[in-house]
Amino acid sequence: MTDLANKNETVSLEEMFQSLEEIVSQLEQADVSLEDSFTLYHRGMNMLKECNEKIDTVEKKIKVLDEDGKEQDF
Amino acid sequence: MQNVYSVKQINAYIKNMFAQDYMLNRIYIKGEVSNCKYHSSGHIYFSLKDESAAIACIMFAGQRSGLSFRLTEGQQVIVLGSISTYERGSTYQLYAKEIILDGAGLLYQKFEALKKELEDMGMFASEYKRPIPQFAKRVGIVTAPTGAAIRDIINVSGRRNPYVQLILYPALVQGSGAVPSIISGIQALEAAGVDVIIVGRGGGSIEDLWAFNEEAVARAIFNCKVPVISAVGHETDTTIADYVADLRAPTPSAAAELAVYEYLTVEAQLKDYESRIRRQMVSNLQISRKQLEQYQFRLRYLNPRQKLNEKRQLTVDIDGKLRQLMSMKLERSRHSLAIHIANLKRLSPLEKLNQGFSYIENTAHHSVKSIQNIEVDDELRIYMTDGRVTAKVTAKEKEEYHD
Repeated sequence: MTDLANKNETVSLEEMFQSLEEIVSQLEQADVSLEDSFTLYHRGMNMLKECNEKIDTVEKKIKVLDEDGKEQDF
Repeated sequence: MQNVYSVKQINAYIKNMFAQDYMLNRIYIKGEVSNCKYHSSGHIYFSLKDESAAIACIMFAGQRSGLSFRLTEGQQVIVLGSISTYERGSTYQLYAKEIILDGAGLLYQKFEALKKELEDMGMFASEYKRPIPQFAKRVGIVTAPTGAAIRDIINVSGRRNPYVQLILYPALVQGSGAVPSIISGIQALEAAGVDVIIVGRGGGSIEDLWAFNEEAVARAIFNCKVPVISAVGHETDTTIADYVADLRAPTPSAAAELAVYEYLTVEAQLKDYESRIRRQMVSNLQISRKQLEQYQFRLRYLNPRQKLNEKRQLTVDIDGKLRQLMSMKLERSRHSLAIHIANLKRLSPLEKLNQGFSYIENTAHHSVKSIQNIEVDDELRIYMTDGRVTAKVTAKEKEEYHD
């Protein structure tokens, strides 16, 4: 489980969007089994959740980087 | 009468005056190049002019080492040379030994030279350009902490996505300290692990923007492992930094648009994915349900009980048909029997006896129809309706019946 969590950390939003696109197109295929549909559905929903978590929706104030490499408020 | 001189004498005298003048022998003149002609002999003819005056100039082929660029119309130049006369036409002109670009022109010359040098080294090649991340979370900015550029970047970024972290490295962007300041900004932000760096400043003169034309800055951008977006001055200003950067933004605002993704668009995209996945799932479920119904229907249809019922029905049907056919046949037989009975009845000799006829046979039980078979004294048997008699023939005579 930690493996999976770590893996998710490295997956970028771009890659997730690409995966979502693939999931949708797989779901749209006529010959996908119901069981696979469910698997895809759950994967898609989990990925959406992760995407939302990835977009850290905390408003950021601009920081200033000083000579020592420390970040301070602007 | 005073002395009379020839034209040649007077022109030589004037020429000598120029030649003896200390200042005119080595003089710097600045002005704008016009009527510039490269002659096939290698000499260059042109004029230097300013607002109200012009002077003819010539640079002989032998002096061409004093010119390091191609002279073109409109250039601001400083020409070192001597002024002398041309005796044949009694005109004076400037004989140029050295020509350099003046002020901005000089910088332009340096710019072109560095651009060519770096281009030849491959520093502008597209295969070195790093892609700008589509969803940067931390955006580094190297620019002045005061000024239009940082304000524009903050405004645009805040409007597009307030959740992206901007990190400013306050840098000097003009003057003597600008080059090292910009370079350490790029390196510090790279070390801080930002996703993309914007390097730039607002508009200004070519001198103001000059730090972005320095080779050291170009190399810092080139060596930076984080993608760099350049945003120097206005759209029309192009610097070496723009050529070497991974992406050139025409202005600081545009750089912010390129570096900071729009939150609402991504949110809408996610919503779209969600609704598509949900809709497709519902649709797939419905399809499966419909298939299930179809199989149920077919199974019911194929049930053995159903088959049995069908067979039972069939036997009932056949039974009915058989009975019907049988009774029809019986009816028909009964009918034809009645006809036969009627026919028989019609032909029965007994009927005839009823009507007063009699049946006669001889002793040998043969029917007697003609008198020729009978002799007198023969015994005959006569059948009537209610019995028979035996009689003896007493006479016989022939009779003709005309019927």
